[in-house]
Amino acid sequence: MITVAIIFVVIAAILCVAALLALLGIGHLGLSGPDALARDGLARGQLAPAWTLADPAGLRHSSRPSCPLQLIVFADHSLKSFPSVVAGLRALLADAELEIVILTRGPAEHSEPVLRQLGLTGVPVLTAAPARYGRYNVRVMPFAIFVDSAGRVRASSLVNHDWQLAKLRQVAAIPVGADEVPGRRRWLAMAG
Amino acid sequence: MLACKAVVAVLLVAAGGAKLADVAGFAASVRLFLPRPAAPRLDGTAARLDGTAVPRLDGTAARLDRGVAVGIAVGEIAAGAASLSSPRASWLNLVVLAICGGFVTVSAAGYRWHRGRSCRCFGALSRRRFNLAGLGRSAAIALGAGVATTPVRAAAIQLGPADRIALLAGALLVAAAAFSAAAAVGAGRGAQDAQPGWT
Repeated sequence: MITVAIIFVVIAAILCVAALLALLGIGHLGLSGPDALARDGLARGQLAPAWTLADPAGLRHSSRPSCPLQLIVFADHSLKSFPSVVAGLRALLADAELEIVILTRGPAEHSEPVLRQLGLTGVPVLTAAPARYGRYNVRVMPFAIFVDSAGRVRASSLVNHDWQLAKLRQVAAIPVGADEVPGRRRWLAMAG
Repeated sequence: MLACKAVVAVLLVAAGGAKLADVAGFAASVRLFLPRPAAPRLDGTAARLDGTAVPRLDGTAARLDRGVAVGIAVGEIAAGAASLSSPRASWLNLVVLAICGGFVTVSAAGYRWHRGRSCRCFGALSRRRFNLAGLGRSAAIALGAGVATTPVRAAAIQLGPADRIALLAGALLVAAAAFSAAAAVGAGRGAQDAQPGWT
């Protein structure tokens, strides 16, 4: 009699484990695909994480920019493999309304010399823990997020070319509308 | 018989969990089958790009669709988890059979009136549509649920509290995994649909 119950428990357990493994595999595939990567970053209007970090020289930099916009570039020395992105960043250095910072996943000391050689002089290179990348929902580099002085995300995307940076800069220049702020968006939808 | 019972129960739990990850999408499928008055109640219009007005479903109807969708998903998880953790309760087999009978009916109606539309039976995990193959799958699941109703002596399938709790936990884990996987897959598809792309 007990055998029947044991057989049922064993079958059910095997099925549960098989289903769990299959679902985990599906979930992993879903998250690692290019379509899912396109959703990385933060949505426009969302509040960006706040931080204060010191560069290798000990100078402290904050997530709240002193000028209207801050461009946070998630990259490291591997940026040398993206000459077009480097060119786009160099072009943005002349933008007086924009402050650019580079957040590296590893120690900034390793990446800074290479980034300086690439012509990104004057751009703070800051060490960010992987958890900080996680808070920005960034998994792959180079990634660019524009944040305004209110701390709201203006534009966010993975970048591979200079024209993508230029287009993001154009989008970032557009103020965040009331319907783009997540909390208000829901309220506005309810209000019809 | 026991294998059929376990398979159908796990399927129900996984399907329910996946549906909960995309309630809006499943509610759209539910909307296909809920009766609507001939002249739908509207609470306004939305403008198309060409300037013409299109009727918008009122909030009550949308909430009803959503409520039914959530109810179905939660009901599937509850029925599957209960069937898995309480195999002694023979009445649960009949409940599961009735649910599977409902799937067959919906598949048949979908095949008849909404052929080619997405059924969202497994939320974003599946892109299956109302077609003959889907009807066949529903019938096969219902057949499995039918086999599971074969009477067994209650004493033969008596589980201890530890086994029942473990199976219930397993079922809930499957539901959570299905929810997460469907959310992950749905996010990718959403990006595909929503992102204008770099053009």
